[in-house]
Amino acid sequence: MAFPEKRINHKTRLAADIGGTFTDVAAFDEGSGRLLLGKSLSTPARLVDGVTNGVEKAAVRYADASAFLHGSTIAINTLLERSGAKTALVTTEGFRDVYEIGRINRPDSYNLYFRKHVPLVPRALCFEVRERMTAEGAVHIPLDEASVLAVCERLKAEGVDAVAIMLLHCYVNPVHEARVKAIVQRELPRAFVSASHELSQEYREFERCSTVAANAYIGPGVSEYVRAMDEHLKHSGFGGSFLLVQSTGGLYESHQAQSQCVRMLESGPAAGVIGAQALCRQLGLADAVAFDMGGTTAKAGVIYRGEALTSGVALIGGYAQALPVQIPMMDIFEVGTGGGSLAAVNASGALRVGPQSAGAEPGPACYGRGGELPTVTDANLVLGRLGARRFLGGEMTLDMAAAEGAIRDKIAGPLGVDLVHAADGILRIATTAMAYAVKAVSTERGLDAAAFALIAYGGAGPLHASSIAREIGMERVIVPRVPGHFCAFGMLFSDLRYDLVRTWFTRLADVSFDAIHALYEELIGQGRKALAASGIRPQRVTIQRAADMRYVGQEHPVTVHLPADVFRRRDAEALKHQFDEEHLRRYGTNARGEPAEIVSLRATVAGVLKKPPLERVARGAREPVASARRGTRKVYFAELGKAVATPTFAREALRSRNAIAGPAVIEEHASTTVLLPGDRMRVDEFGNLAIEVGRRAA
Amino acid sequence: MKRMKSKKQRQADAVLTEIVRNGVIAVTEEMKTNLMRTAYNMIIYEALDFTVGLYTPEGETISIGLGLPSFIRGMAETVKAKLRHFGEKGLEPGDILVTNDAYTTGSHLYHFTFSLPIFHRGKLSGFACCMAHWTDVGGVLGGVTTDIYSEGLQIPIIKYARAGVVNQDLVDIIRMNVRIPERAMGDLRAQITAVKTGERRFLELLDRYGRDEVLAAIRNIMDQSEVAARARTRTIPDGVYEAESFMDDDGVEIGKPVPIKVRVVKQGEEMTIDLSQVAKQVRGFYNSGTTTGYSCAQVAYKCLTSPTDYPINEGSFRSLKVVLAPGTVVSAVKPAAMRWWMTFPMTVVDTLFKAMEKAIPDRTIAAHHADLCVALINGISPKDGRFFLAGIGPMGGGFGAKLTEDGNSATVCMNDGDTHNHPVEQMEAKYPLLFERHALRPDSGGAGRYRGGLGTEQAVQARSPININVQVDRVHCAPWGLAGGASGAGNQVTLRLGGKEIADLPNAKVLMKRLNPGDAITVRAGGGGGFGPPHEREPERVANDVRQGYVSLTAAAESYGVVLDPRTLEVDQAATAKRREKKP
Repeated sequence: MAFPEKRINHKTRLAADIGGTFTDVAAFDEGSGRLLLGKSLSTPARLVDGVTNGVEKAAVRYADASAFLHGSTIAINTLLERSGAKTALVTTEGFRDVYEIGRINRPDSYNLYFRKHVPLVPRALCFEVRERMTAEGAVHIPLDEASVLAVCERLKAEGVDAVAIMLLHCYVNPVHEARVKAIVQRELPRAFVSASHELSQEYREFERCSTVAANAYIGPGVSEYVRAMDEHLKHSGFGGSFLLVQSTGGLYESHQAQSQCVRMLESGPAAGVIGAQALCRQLGLADAVAFDMGGTTAKAGVIYRGEALTSGVALIGGYAQALPVQIPMMDIFEVGTGGGSLAAVNASGALRVGPQSAGAEPGPACYGRGGELPTVTDANLVLGRLGARRFLGGEMTLDMAAAEGAIRDKIAGPLGVDLVHAADGILRIATTAMAYAVKAVSTERGLDAAAFALIAYGGAGPLHASSIAREIGMERVIVPRVPGHFCAFGMLFSDLRYDLVRTWFTRLADVSFDAIHALYEELIGQGRKALAASGIRPQRVTIQRAADMRYVGQEHPVTVHLPADVFRRRDAEALKHQFDEEHLRRYGTNARGEPAEIVSLRATVAGVLKKPPLERVARGAREPVASARRGTRKVYFAELGKAVATPTFAREALRSRNAIAGPAVIEEHASTTVLLPGDRMRVDEFGNLAIEVGRRAA
Repeated sequence: MKRMKSKKQRQADAVLTEIVRNGVIAVTEEMKTNLMRTAYNMIIYEALDFTVGLYTPEGETISIGLGLPSFIRGMAETVKAKLRHFGEKGLEPGDILVTNDAYTTGSHLYHFTFSLPIFHRGKLSGFACCMAHWTDVGGVLGGVTTDIYSEGLQIPIIKYARAGVVNQDLVDIIRMNVRIPERAMGDLRAQITAVKTGERRFLELLDRYGRDEVLAAIRNIMDQSEVAARARTRTIPDGVYEAESFMDDDGVEIGKPVPIKVRVVKQGEEMTIDLSQVAKQVRGFYNSGTTTGYSCAQVAYKCLTSPTDYPINEGSFRSLKVVLAPGTVVSAVKPAAMRWWMTFPMTVVDTLFKAMEKAIPDRTIAAHHADLCVALINGISPKDGRFFLAGIGPMGGGFGAKLTEDGNSATVCMNDGDTHNHPVEQMEAKYPLLFERHALRPDSGGAGRYRGGLGTEQAVQARSPININVQVDRVHCAPWGLAGGASGAGNQVTLRLGGKEIADLPNAKVLMKRLNPGDAITVRAGGGGGFGPPHEREPERVANDVRQGYVSLTAAAESYGVVLDPRTLEVDQAATAKRREKKP
């Protein structure tokens, strides 16, 4: 990690990622080509302070920065903690209960104590206005403005801070919705007002309703936060662009973020995948799985043919009680397995790991803060994979006796096995659970995971990466240079990005390329306009087109990326062919003879920003320098069936071209990489650990 | 099992068992995703009316993907029937077996069930199965059927594919007999995708951990589930518990109730569910087969003993005995009409919960709307001049209250689990319909210390001529309360024909009625029953219900004895105390 002696010029790109526990700062100094890092505790009461502390730790000045890139958990936390604004919902007459009714499913089918989703807006604050569009976008009942004014009076009387508007079929014709919004804004000038078509122009009224309600609910708080951050930056002498990370990993300008708050729900995890994508570009890799493991969960995203894959809807708060958000997001799969996941033997004698977590308090037994239940971290410590005195660069000592006691009492005893086998069992179960997250975004998408590289980061990712890769048959693991700061690092590589989607049902057989062209132009025009409104001049603008298609009669469409020349050539057969192929890849089957149709058109307009080159590290010999060797300790490897003396290395002393063969442990400030027997690691020119994974024992 | 094991062996057992448990759940979830995403009809892809599962070489359930509770038993019985039919020797790699025989699946002919025997290095190692509800299998269009022959094409147990070669004759026969062949073929392909996914992923598990080891782990999973179910059963007081309810009618003899009588005997760590006293099979199409009789008992038993134990597997039911007499509405024999098989069993399950009220008030639940509340429509699409078939619904109704909680509002009935409703925007884009209203029904939740959930209503107008068929029950046997709680509102159907409201139908069954443009149908799903005396509900909760519009001012006073200031909606403490004094 490079800490500079002197500050440089005002060509710094500064990125700050606020997570639940830590705020990470990464800065790239274009003058020197150096990467600067800072980590500080998050400050929930005033998040801005945590950022400033981190910036100071990285030894960067706001005044030197040309751009401040920011991701924050504020949006998702406001939603999950239910701490948003007093919000009202305005819908088409006859449909105010759409939000509460939802999709009526009961996934936990046998649980009589099952609970469905709880709307963000209570029914007493759901109002109706008289109007109706048909599915074709024709006016069936004209908008009764008197009914809108009457609702506004109620809204004033209730003293709401935010208003969400969702009218039926506004994705085809938004005129009524736009008019209702204008009236509400005029009547309640201080309220945060959001209309559904501004966020989603796709059909499905509950999902769109939930999206706009979430935006309105978090709007006042999140926009205030962004404003405060903006002001703080200005006061600190910052004169550059303030950009926020969206759930796609793309950036948008801070004023845009103040009205479309829901787009930043998953900014941190998305930025990690962008970092993995940047790494792929640098290393010439086309396909990789980005794997992030922290204290409570493990997350996987995927880079396929150089692009990070996104999805069109996310379920916030778990499947059973989900509040859907229908906007493009990074396609990330999450499992409840992290370092803090609890292991337990239940009354039937079954061994379970997670999803319950020890959290930060009391934390794993080995933290010595009163935790008595064993966790994945305790198992790592007992097996020697973590060093008791090396945790967080030695800032914290782990309590081996507590870890052993917890595993012995809660796992080994009840199962009648010894300590080491119990600890190893916990890790094996955790490994397979995490392997499912990786498979969920790869093999289940029809991608051959074995041919992908696994890019592992987050505090705990590098500890488990090699085991997970073996489980799936992946041959290559990359542990980036800054696994503990990787999401902030990823932000430095992000581009401005605007995603536009429009539902447009059309059979391919009847498709008019003139109509498609006009629609794409409209979407792209909106994107360009947003890009211009950001006030930032990108290096260049790229446009990607895609269409959601399905066989006639099917429901769920597949998003098919379409090269521009398909449209230039007006080639309906090529459209169909691309769809057939995508369907085959994703589901292992297609029906070439069946007619297909378009459901939605998608355009992504990106303003490509200059990327920092990756910093090269000093070159060394094949053999690491003596100072990199920290000694040996006994580490248990299931592959060998025993504990063996295993060398440990200090990551900061490694140089490019250094090679280490497993078994070995490589330690750095916020993370530990385990090389299993048979693994061969080489430090690449950028300081990444490139691991060739040994074969899985039969 | 009793032989001594080494430490390492025991550790391997516990760890591998858990790995395999996670593994089989992942397999059936992926099967489910693939089926749902590639299916062609809204019943599968939106309503998720299907079940996928993995079975042992003997046909025992290893894992069922979240789907239809009422089909919890359907595929296991079907796999066993297929095994009996062909014998293990009659199966070879590349085979895919199929049937839609109503008396095997216990349900209707729409349920096409595919089973793929999974061979690992030449050894039969399990089955991947998929049942899905097809849009149409021929037979009489609408109306009520009175025997199986009028309900469509019956496919006995045969091979859809033999050693990898598809039986084209079968495909041609199906295509000729169904009204919308391209949809049927699309759904068939989706189901094949699902069972092949199951095969591929299960083989990966077997390759990774070894066939015998995985099958042993599966036995462990079942043993663990059995231990859990027995332990929980032991906590239910021993005794004989009975309850009774009724269905409106069978759609043929209008107004003649169909009694549902159940008996539960709990002794030690075992439970016997006796359904031999439910009504004899009926002429109308509300019958289901023995498999479904078992399903009723299993669903109730799982809800009461191991509701969140996954995967759903055979072990959970070893401590359950089921008594059925042949020829009842849940054990019907050929040629009983089965097309609307799913309605009565839900009330059987509800009645079992009622029976357990005295034994385990903390674990049971008041009654729910117990019907999918679907209106089937057909007609000629004005867009393309083609024949269409679709369903309005399922609709969410109210679930019953419990000892410590209000019931859920607007939730799909017990037959179904992860079943979704159809977006109004989707329905209007596909069919000539205009939805006038989709709303909660205030005051439909049964009053109680804890209130039943609210039902919903949908008013739908035809934009061009359509035919409708509605088979809804439980109008007259409204969802009952428990422990002094009041009933919720029953299901209801009304029509508007030529501008005239028709609200006095004798039941909620409307057969082959023509709706002309502007005519409308309103389907109302019932609310759940309440739990405990309504006068014991905290006045502040009642006041909040009124503020949210769940309960009217009038009902607050009359049902709960809670008087509110009509302007502020604050509780009038004095008036409330006075009103509540009157009732014991």
